[in-house]
Amino acid sequence: MPSDTRSPRSKMSYRALERIQRTLLLTPGVLLYGIFNFLPLLALIPLSLVKWPGIGPKEFVGLDNFAKVLTQPYYRDQMLNALFQNVIFFVVIIGSFLIIGTALALLLSFRTWGRKSYQVLFFLPYPMAGAAVAYLLDLFVHPRGPFNAVMVELGLVDTPIPFLGSEDTALVTMALFYAWHRMGFAIMLILSGILAVRTDLLEASQLDGASRWQSIRNVVLPVLGPAFVLITVIVMVDVFNNADYILLIMGPEAGPLRSTDIMGTFLFRTAFGGSADTTDTNFGMAAAIGLLTALMILPAAIFLALRNLRNT
Amino acid sequence: MDKIFKLNKREQLVVQFIMLAWVAVVLIPFGAAIINALKPNVGQVFREPFGLPDPWTWSNFAKAWVNANFSQYFLNSTIIAVSCVIIVVFCASTTAFVLARMPFRGSTAVFICFLIGVIIPIRLALAPLFDIVRTLGLLDSLFGVILVQSASMMPVSVFILVSFMKNISVELEEAAKMDGALPFTVFWRIIFPLMRPAIATIALLTFVQAWNEYFLPLIFLQSESNYPLTLGLQRFNQQFAIQWHMMFAGILIMMGPTIIAFMLASKQFISGLTQGGVKE
Repeated sequence: MPSDTRSPRSKMSYRALERIQRTLLLTPGVLLYGIFNFLPLLALIPLSLVKWPGIGPKEFVGLDNFAKVLTQPYYRDQMLNALFQNVIFFVVIIGSFLIIGTALALLLSFRTWGRKSYQVLFFLPYPMAGAAVAYLLDLFVHPRGPFNAVMVELGLVDTPIPFLGSEDTALVTMALFYAWHRMGFAIMLILSGILAVRTDLLEASQLDGASRWQSIRNVVLPVLGPAFVLITVIVMVDVFNNADYILLIMGPEAGPLRSTDIMGTFLFRTAFGGSADTTDTNFGMAAAIGLLTALMILPAAIFLALRNLRNT
Repeated sequence: MDKIFKLNKREQLVVQFIMLAWVAVVLIPFGAAIINALKPNVGQVFREPFGLPDPWTWSNFAKAWVNANFSQYFLNSTIIAVSCVIIVVFCASTTAFVLARMPFRGSTAVFICFLIGVIIPIRLALAPLFDIVRTLGLLDSLFGVILVQSASMMPVSVFILVSFMKNISVELEEAAKMDGALPFTVFWRIIFPLMRPAIATIALLTFVQAWNEYFLPLIFLQSESNYPLTLGLQRFNQQFAIQWHMMFAGILIMMGPTIIAFMLASKQFISGLTQGGVKE
């Protein structure tokens, strides 16, 4: 054993060297993450207790920001509106994921011709940039765009529908953009859930004389529970902080008439203002809203983290 | 068993029909973008959106590239994405190595701190993050955006690497340590090569994420010479909203590299990005 031949002194220096190198290996990652991710998360708490337009002196206001956003009509109404619309946004997305995603994943799990190619094609939009997808679909469903042109040509509608220009349809259209972009992800998760179903269970159900649909309903679908929960949780965490599509197409004012305002746009507007001449920006309020949103998605996020932790 | 997944002729036809219908939903917007990006003027786009271009105007791409500054945006996106990949691969692999293989007093606490980063999205902390970046004098610089974007990818990457490392046997490492190898050597000669598949996953994940990121550059970059493609596309849309053929060309320039990379390595993309999404 080489270690036996070493003198105690060199053994000590090995230990010391080991410790120094360990520290050196750990430092870059911890510093990078600490300064630009962890510290801002911690700083949410002190910052939520001040009134501060982002520049100049900070004024300590205690829990005033929270009180305002929960009770003062100006903020409270915006917050409730954003929250309500965020829930609709979420429900439309998750609904289309679970219905269309499950149907397509089931069909892909059969001996369908060309199913490998279909998998690739269905996944195609997912790696694309949200910005490019947002503008692509924006132009596609525009009143003067291809989709409306075809609908008018086929006589399905008399006049083009302003999907993104009308308060009634804008939010749902945005949610469908999101669903179009990420459907491949939902399909892949559900498909891997189906493929993981134990074949002996399926065989047993077949021996018992179950029809295909009975086998699917009683053996496959129940096992998909975890995949459904996982998708729901991932989408929930994402849509309650990410408002990229709306910021891109509608801007921070989330038009028409704030009908597409969700938590992400509300938060952005509070910190940086809706337009260049806004004066009532408040970083403290933005931190308070950030904290409240974090609390809302915390159960889902912790669930996700624990699941990942179990897997590691 | 096979009976469940086998399809007879008629069922096969029905399933094929549904599959092709969804392929159409996915591909038609892309197809519309390609056809219309090649049209000479916006009138033709409005008149017959699915008609073939007349004449085929390939110069739209050149125009967007030169006149609308897409070359600059493209360069910035490339700088940001490549730097992020290098930084994240280095920082995440070293951090994960120490956390997984050389535990010390407090290493669990460090790991929990990373866990919090996985739980709470950084966007919610945009106000304090902005404050910190400004204090460090990194506003409106590519370097600042690169650091912020790299940091935002750290938690997921560390998680993926730590869980991968749990499955590597420790024998090689133990043997090397017996021979007096120090952590640097163990990391560089043994762990890093063994981790290659997981590192490929986080590199891909980071590249796609950094290339596609819109929100963080939006907050931290002001001058147009620093814009990546995502912000450039938005600027372009504000200036040339009505020039649809040019807009489509710009969108395709932005998507081009991703589409090519996806076609070349679709299997890696699907497994890597799905894994990354799950670990978010």
